[in-house]
Amino acid sequence: MIPVVEAASKMSLKCRLFSEFARQQLFRSSPACGLHISATYYAESKAVAEDEEFRTLELGGRKIQRRAQRIQREMPTLPPRYKRQATDQDWGNVWPAPRSFHPATVPLAVRQGYPAKGQAPPDKWGNAELMKIPNFLHLTPPVIERQCEALKKFCTPWPAGLENTEKQEKHFPVTMTKSSYLHSSPSIRDPKSRIVTLKVHLRSLDLDTHARDKLLRLVGDRYDPATDCLTLVADRCPLSQQNRDYCHYLLTVLYNEALKTEPWEHEKEVTDNERYVWQGSPSEAALKVIAAAKGEPVPEADVEKYRDAVAELHNEGEDETTLAKYREAVMKIAGIA
Amino acid sequence: MSLSHFKHIPKAWTNQWLLRNAVGLQSTCGLHTTPAACKVQSGRYKVTTDRSRPLTYEMANQPCQIAHRKSWNTWNTTSLLDGQREPETVVEDIFIRKFMNGTWHDLFVSEVIIKRQHNMIRIAGIVQQRIAARKMYFLIGYCEELLSYWLKCPVKLEIQTVTDKKSVIYKYI
Repeated sequence: MIPVVEAASKMSLKCRLFSEFARQQLFRSSPACGLHISATYYAESKAVAEDEEFRTLELGGRKIQRRAQRIQREMPTLPPRYKRQATDQDWGNVWPAPRSFHPATVPLAVRQGYPAKGQAPPDKWGNAELMKIPNFLHLTPPVIERQCEALKKFCTPWPAGLENTEKQEKHFPVTMTKSSYLHSSPSIRDPKSRIVTLKVHLRSLDLDTHARDKLLRLVGDRYDPATDCLTLVADRCPLSQQNRDYCHYLLTVLYNEALKTEPWEHEKEVTDNERYVWQGSPSEAALKVIAAAKGEPVPEADVEKYRDAVAELHNEGEDETTLAKYREAVMKIAGIA
Repeated sequence: MSLSHFKHIPKAWTNQWLLRNAVGLQSTCGLHTTPAACKVQSGRYKVTTDRSRPLTYEMANQPCQIAHRKSWNTWNTTSLLDGQREPETVVEDIFIRKFMNGTWHDLFVSEVIIKRQHNMIRIAGIVQQRIAARKMYFLIGYCEELLSYWLKCPVKLEIQTVTDKKSVIYKYI
């Protein structure tokens, strides 16, 4: 092998100018002596590069070679699902849970959006507006019915004897209220859910006049005279259970305090009353004097009328109505009218 | 025009002005003010002369049309009364948008819609069919997995695909 290479390097110029074509022919014609010829070729080309070929200076930047335009392959896509759906399919299985709108699944020709000039409103394909809005495709009437059926086995019948509000109030006079809050956040905690409200009608508590008066003084504006309802709101503890217990405690304490009569409560004078009480008043004494003078008892209806008129006059103040009522009641008692 | 033309200027002021000018001590102090540029530019696109700028429905409607012609891209309860985690939610939404746009590179042709329900985050949007379906399925799972790991709550991707970018174009301006 070595002598062959040496011989090749010593080849004449004529041999070196072997045309490309001839060399190719040589390659083709004698595949059996490939090694021999390739060695010749390398040596020859090296010599040519050294002697004659110069690198050309390219001015004006490299010429941009036009590349053949890339052919976009079509992505194989399935036909929209609604075309494969039977008309009597079970929609609850197609759309079982809340999900953004998908035009290929929903077999409805819905459109949404403000139409551009001279165009129809945007259709469902590629319509982001339809994907934004919440939909109720998972809560169709048959699905709701099915869910209600499934939930029925967890329900118990309404307790007998609690049919109307009166009965409920009689058996369960105290109402406790608390709120739970659901946010779109990973936390289920809300500080507002600790607040507990207790409501009870005063008529369902066993109170006498003194106890009722005392309770009202204790609770202040937590009592609503229009509905006869006492409302206790507890929010001072961090947990709703603690607040609930505190509400119960408050109600118990209030009730027991109201029933108590402290020694100093007897010091209350007639003038300390917040409202005028006719019983035991000078007015009642005067009526008795009149009755004694007349020699016959005053009719019960007239006494009641007079009592109400006097109380109203004191409690609501003097105006034309109360004065007229009082005048009428007095004249009736005196037997003038 | 002499100063005497301004009849309403008090005499004292005129004297002061004359004095200053005469002595060459005209005051150089003063607050330089320019009129406020009441220019509103966000969410508005320039009209081209040949009407060649494509706009999606979202782009074609200005921000003032939100709740009238278009709805919000983010749905959650933070802005309600006593809503919770408002700053956290905003930052998470920015992150989700950046992540989605980067992961689905040059594929989204709509805005990224983020809807939150309880602890669930549902991300919706319209994507071009430029990559193979298999790659899309991979990206869906990849995004769901990573986002739910980072945000510590279940994340669902609800992607709709369109064959061409042009199918979401609403009008040209």
